[in-house]
Amino acid sequence: MSALAARGVCKSFGRHKVLAGLDIDVTAGELVAVVGENGSGKTTLLRVLAGDLRADAGSVACSDRPGYCPQTVVLDDALTVDQHVRYFQAAYGISSPSRAGELIERLGYAACRGQRAGTLSGGTKQKLSLTLALMHDPPVLLLDEPYQGFDWQTYLAFWELTDELRARGTATVVISHLVFEQERFDRVFQLTDGQIHEEASRHAPAT
Amino acid sequence: MRQQLDTAIRLSLAGQVRNRLAWILLVAFVPVWYLLIGSMIPHVGADFRLRATGVTLVVDGHDLTLITAGLSAITLITAFVVFAAVRRSLPFDRRLVLSGYRPAALIAAKTNAALVQAVAVGAYATIILLFFWRPAGVWSIAVTFILAAATYAAFGLLIGVVVRGDLEGFFLIIMIAMLDTFLENPVDNPLANKPILEFFPSYGPTQFAAAGAFHHQVLPSMAALSLAWTAAFALLGLVVLRLRMPRPASVAACST
Repeated sequence: MSALAARGVCKSFGRHKVLAGLDIDVTAGELVAVVGENGSGKTTLLRVLAGDLRADAGSVACSDRPGYCPQTVVLDDALTVDQHVRYFQAAYGISSPSRAGELIERLGYAACRGQRAGTLSGGTKQKLSLTLALMHDPPVLLLDEPYQGFDWQTYLAFWELTDELRARGTATVVISHLVFEQERFDRVFQLTDGQIHEEASRHAPAT
Repeated sequence: MRQQLDTAIRLSLAGQVRNRLAWILLVAFVPVWYLLIGSMIPHVGADFRLRATGVTLVVDGHDLTLITAGLSAITLITAFVVFAAVRRSLPFDRRLVLSGYRPAALIAAKTNAALVQAVAVGAYATIILLFFWRPAGVWSIAVTFILAAATYAAFGLLIGVVVRGDLEGFFLIIMIAMLDTFLENPVDNPLANKPILEFFPSYGPTQFAAAGAFHHQVLPSMAALSLAWTAAFALLGLVVLRLRMPRPASVAACST
């Protein structure tokens, strides 16, 4: 059963048609990549899947509220790391921020918890953004170039984390430019001319 | 909802308090502005028309100018702080709503933060004024400053959600706040007693302050007029803010 399913999604900006009746299904425990040239509509697709952008036509259904990590880091520069966690704990309605604490430790920025987002490095902001998307253990995770600015250790930690999520049954969609990382994904979709095409089958999902 | 509201109120205030430029403006600009304006304007009589009662008062031009100087300082500061806070948090608020935050909780928290700020800035500007002038009706000055600060906090919110760029927003705030407050003062503007100035946001507060400080009179209609400006700016701003947040249908069902 699909954890995330989009049917006939269309989106245009003025006369420029970006998504032209696109379909995609992602099952629980599957890790998929969406690749494509600059301006092919990858970010638009992810925003539509996340509910951040209304499609002109078509439908998107997901099993629950997805975790969403946008391409541009969206934080409040005046708030500390811990205050961001408190805000999203209230947003998700979760009783404990323990998962956020665990992610902060794993991504290696626990020393920055009292620091304001405006004073964090670009890579640390990206880690915080990822933590906020993941801290409620969503069944569907939508990540737009999530490893931009990561150092090598964090980059490896990120892939360890995605493997764990796959084992837990999380359906994960990653917008990626990294062609050499494509063997990490269960399926890779190429977005061209507003349509999505599966490139090749990698390996079966863990669940 | 309760947890979301409490968290949003606490963190909205925390974010606003960290605006260092606003603190510098408040702590340094207000007394310097009083000092500068006060030293330039002599103690000479000026005709000030209380349009609400039809009486023309002869007031000390220096003292009246301290009132309008206070008004110009606090309107600029409150509008700037709220504008900066709204601009900074617009994309973040969208992300929070997408993550399940109720827009009503965020909007209520922003309104609360703006009101707290208006009261704090108005009270501070009144206290500093006492170092330069001890008006008879000091409470009327405090009420005036709080009313004007609330109006311009709402104005800052409105500008924050309608303009595209930060620079044009700052420019609009500076131009409108300075013109509005200075035009009401007959020492600065020979046409200050003309009827057209009734249609400016600072008209109500200036009339209320002058009546209280120079004529021992309370003009509730002028306070109501100021509150009407606040309500109009706030309503418009909050409606636009709500429209700029993701719609509940697309969030709840994650479908289009």
